[in-house]
Amino acid sequence: MNTRFKLPPQIVRLVLLTVGIVGSYLIARAFLTPSSFGQYGWYRGDALMEAASHPRTFAGKPACTECHEEQAKQLAKFNHQSLSCEVCHGPGQAHVENFDVKLPVLTHGHCLRCHEKNPSRPHWHKQISSREHFPGDKCIECHKPHAPSEVP
Amino acid sequence: MKQSLSRRTVLTKLGLAAVAAAAAPAVNAAKTTVQKVLVKTEAPKDYDPTQHKWQMAFDVNRCIGCGHCVEACKQENNVPIGPYYRTWIERYIVTKPEPRSAETRGEVRVDSPEGGIHGFNDVPVPEADILQSFFVPKLCNLCEHSPCVQSCPVGATFDTPDGAVLVDPKYCIGCGFCIQACPYGCRFMNPITHTAEKCTLCYHRISRGLKPACVEVCPTQARIFGDLKNPVPDDPLQEFFKKNRVQTLKPHLGTDPRVQYANIDKEVR
Repeated sequence: MNTRFKLPPQIVRLVLLTVGIVGSYLIARAFLTPSSFGQYGWYRGDALMEAASHPRTFAGKPACTECHEEQAKQLAKFNHQSLSCEVCHGPGQAHVENFDVKLPVLTHGHCLRCHEKNPSRPHWHKQISSREHFPGDKCIECHKPHAPSEVP
Repeated sequence: MKQSLSRRTVLTKLGLAAVAAAAAPAVNAAKTTVQKVLVKTEAPKDYDPTQHKWQMAFDVNRCIGCGHCVEACKQENNVPIGPYYRTWIERYIVTKPEPRSAETRGEVRVDSPEGGIHGFNDVPVPEADILQSFFVPKLCNLCEHSPCVQSCPVGATFDTPDGAVLVDPKYCIGCGFCIQACPYGCRFMNPITHTAEKCTLCYHRISRGLKPACVEVCPTQARIFGDLKNPVPDDPLQEFFKKNRVQTLKPHLGTDPRVQYANIDKEVR
């Protein structure tokens, strides 16, 4: 008499099905998981360097100072010393990459953007009311933006 | 009748499947290596995110509400035109209380016309009625326990080891859960790409040793930025923490924001 234990066929089918499902999941996972997943955490590590490859628009003050050393030296002597060049002159990366690209010419609106009187501005900040302070005149007729304390 | 599978064929097929499963990661790795060599990338090559911890802080007393930061952020990060801001400025106006009302202060008005991108030229309250008024710059609070990261169903947003919270636009499905989850309103849906977007701390700049665009153009150093792991001599961030008593926004929510504010009013949320 044959007493050897034999798995019932329905159990064999169930085991095969489970192995098939788990196996196909593992294969799909191996193909679909990005290769850099888990490099830093539970996400695609390459996303960091993709974010870092975004093009720049602002060059930064050191890039300006490399060529415009004289202006930078003068600026450093006066109250506008903490300003980056691009605050007033606008984004300069295009100009750094190609000197033929010129930055826009400034108007006196640039001065008033910071120095127009506003009750919400902190009191230590120098402000004027453009309606009362020599209306109609341009700021640069008296004030030099690179040397603001030199007032006539 | 169709011939049943022989033991040999089944074993061969199973073996091939096993080899394919084992080879897939190897093939992926090879593909990445080839891409790294062949594909020209703008990313900085020697930047290691684990060696930095970036931190942002604000001195509200120094903000003059000029709006340069908002404009610079839009230009630098290609933020779409319209009511979409990665950083913005809010104006708080605390009015005087009614005479003999026994109140310490009147109504508090908060506004941010176009995110403050053109400054704040119109004053909505007569100057005589203002008790005090100030500007508050806002951006992603860089939470230690970010609700936006926890709510993302596909893991497309994450905390980086260097302290930024980024969105992976290739995996974002645009469901908007993170936008609802952010208690500070720092996220928006990009109408062009239909993915969630937020402040990246100018990741493309800080990874090259530059300041974020908003910090670069801030004329009064109201925004202070630095690397906690690599302090430089006269580090503005270390100086800031030495000189100021600071607080975070909505501390009761347990998000533990890393962005710190100095000289802030209780009305600021």
